Amino acid sequence: MIKVLFFGGLQETAQTESCLIESQDVTNVRDLVVALSEQFSPSLINALNDETAMVSVNQQYAGWDVQLNDADEVGFLPPVSGG
Amino acid sequence: MSNRSDIDDRADSNLNTNSQQPKQSNGSVWVGEADFSVADEYRATCDLAPHAGAVVFFVGLVRDFYADKAADESVDYIELQHYPGMTESLCSEIVDQAHQRYPFEYARVLHRVGKLYAGDQIVMVAVAAQHRENAFQAAQFIMDFLKNRATFWKKEVGSRGQQWLGVKDKDKKALKRWQ
Repeated sequence: MIKVLFFGGLQETAQTESCLIESQDVTNVRDLVVALSEQFSPSLINALNDETAMVSVNQQYAGWDVQLNDADEVGFLPPVSGG
Repeated sequence: MSNRSDIDDRADSNLNTNSQQPKQSNGSVWVGEADFSVADEYRATCDLAPHAGAVVFFVGLVRDFYADKAADESVDYIELQHYPGMTESLCSEIVDQAHQRYPFEYARVLHRVGKLYAGDQIVMVAVAAQHRENAFQAAQFIMDFLKNRATFWKKEVGSRGQQWLGVKDKDKKALKRWQ
């Protein structure tokens, strides 16, 4: 399973902070978003596909083509606003 | 406000339970809900940097919301969330990068999360170095990268509901000075 975390406004769009996705057939973040589209609303999928959304894999910023493995933790990160 | 034993816990034992606090050689990072005392942090920073000849502090406050809002719009408070673990790691990396460019003796980064009101302290960056130039530059570097890279998210809650904020253009431009 892959653990998926949503933050900021994405958390509210997803109506959850996290979910688990079967890792079978999920080789990268693009595949993961396709898998998420089966469970979540088009508004969330559109927001994830938005160019401003960043991704982390195992708590490191990552690209959408990075290979995913079972037990990975993927975060979907809207634009940050600390400080 | 923090007392001295709180400071020692943050700096030396990582005992504060608000969040994870990775210990790293060039400084310390803390993320949590508790407020902090600049006086206590100053004394702790000086203790941890006994050879420093310059200590620079930056403290960010929650701005007076009404200043940049329409007359009929008010903000009651802001709420900050973060990505526990990743945030602290990113802040530690930023401290390390600052140290590589502008060697200093010790740096401390504190960032609050949760519900905060106008005037509340939100972030503190302290850098102790042998000379003032590195202390100023490193503090500026840390703040600029913290604003653009660290995984914090800020939401305004007020008369028109709630709104998530993103990084401002001026903060993005601030990164260019380090290229």
